[in-house]
Amino acid sequence: MKRKGLRFYLHIYRKILAQDIKSKMSYRADFIISTIGMIFTNISGFVGFWILFRNFPSINGWSYHEMLFLYGFSLVSITPVQCLFDNNWSLRQQVYSGDFIKYCFRPINLFFYYQSEVFDIKGLGQLAFGIGTIAYSWSRIGLAFTPLMLLKLIVFLITASLIMIALQNAAAATCFWIQNSFYVLDLAFRFKDYAKYPVTIFSTVFRFIFTFIVPIAFIAYYPSLVILRPDEIPLLSWLSPFIGIAFFFVSYKIWMRGATRYSGTGS
Amino acid sequence: MKAKRYLALTRAGVIEALQFRASFIVMVIGNLLYLIVVYFLWKAIYASAGSDVVSGMTFSDTLVYLVLATALFNFMEMYAVWQMGRDIQSGKIVLDLLKPMEYRRYLFWSFTGTFIMQFLFTFLPTFIVVAAVTHGAIPLGINILYFMISVVLAVSINYSIDFFVGTICLYTESIWGINIMKQVIVLLLSGATIPIAFFPEPLKSIVYYLPFQSIYNAPLSLLLDGSPSAEKVLTTLGMQLFWCVAMLIISKAFWKASLRQITVNGG
Repeated sequence: MKRKGLRFYLHIYRKILAQDIKSKMSYRADFIISTIGMIFTNISGFVGFWILFRNFPSINGWSYHEMLFLYGFSLVSITPVQCLFDNNWSLRQQVYSGDFIKYCFRPINLFFYYQSEVFDIKGLGQLAFGIGTIAYSWSRIGLAFTPLMLLKLIVFLITASLIMIALQNAAAATCFWIQNSFYVLDLAFRFKDYAKYPVTIFSTVFRFIFTFIVPIAFIAYYPSLVILRPDEIPLLSWLSPFIGIAFFFVSYKIWMRGATRYSGTGS
Repeated sequence: MKAKRYLALTRAGVIEALQFRASFIVMVIGNLLYLIVVYFLWKAIYASAGSDVVSGMTFSDTLVYLVLATALFNFMEMYAVWQMGRDIQSGKIVLDLLKPMEYRRYLFWSFTGTFIMQFLFTFLPTFIVVAAVTHGAIPLGINILYFMISVVLAVSINYSIDFFVGTICLYTESIWGINIMKQVIVLLLSGATIPIAFFPEPLKSIVYYLPFQSIYNAPLSLLLDGSPSAEKVLTTLGMQLFWCVAMLIISKAFWKASLRQITVNGG
């Protein structure tokens, strides 16, 4: 079989996406309420920060606006997993009920086809909020704005987003081996809440865990340093794009291994 | 005879909870992780503060407060909104409405089994560990009795709020959005994420008059005060009792009025 190119996949993705959006739009009230709910979540996170910094001027050498930058960065970098990989949440039921087998018979990449089927629009509210937070804190800190900085920001944001995607893929794929993987997925998803703090607040053991084992420090902390502290960028920050790609690749392999192992339920 | 009906539901809940042991372990791990993050975060916050007491709270006060708030949350949160939403969407609610028991009561009692399990396996161990580790951060005296009364009232208020929000699902058919909004508002304004003592002034006074602080802040403030004045006990419990009755009436009335609106697709 001929290997399909990127152009082919983009074409297919557009088509599948259009179908999904159409079906979502028939539940307009749900879409609006979910978006408001998402914005609520972000506002409450913001209010939490604000209350905290009314009492404490800085945390571990990080000022209010620097922490806000970190928060905004983490919001944007977890948006792709929310928008593009939301179908991972239903993988468990699909595998359990046997519906998953339908994906196995298509002449395109299994992982791609499965993930492309759902696009979660409500993540876009979070994206807007995150970008707003980054822009606000950027101007308050007084960082210079150059095309190079913007390019750096975008590259680091995209590669940082791969970390959360990788965590979720791997967690979702556990359902190929164990029955009730919801809790594994839920646990992995909760890690994102811890990404918005500088990893330096933790003790050495946890710093190691959050850097190399469950790499949430790469969701916001390490890549943000490139923008926020340009004078003292640690090596790990420069490595973070490669770590993102590596973790994504590993999670993809785990997911595919589980999927090819799947033999259906016989129904 | 009447109590027997309810206890049958409790028993079923306990048995059901015992079925999901693996999920239980993952939940405990998730909790531990959360507590670790909270510990390091507040340690860093207090280390940068420069003084030991901020807004009348020391580091250990804050930590004990937050740990117990989390334990209370795990014990009290029954995800009633999810349950109601799912029942409404799937149409199962029709069958529940036909049962010879009021739906509100039926739902509550079917959660009591999980309640007991959560209390024994999450709240009690956390409480004992905190009491042992901190050597007297939790005074053991008459305040325990006040705390228990307060928790019973809190459970009732929490359930009424859940039931009220769940009723909204009858109109919107959106579960996720409604639920996330409720959760975010309750967690922030009840003091479960940041102790209310830290809230800046106008906000603090407003929050005291809302029902949410009666869920977590009220029982905890009674528990952590070794010799509370009679005035404090009376106003706290009185406020809780007021919200308990008020929310009961409001949520019941709302449910009754909404039932006439119900449309169920299949079942």
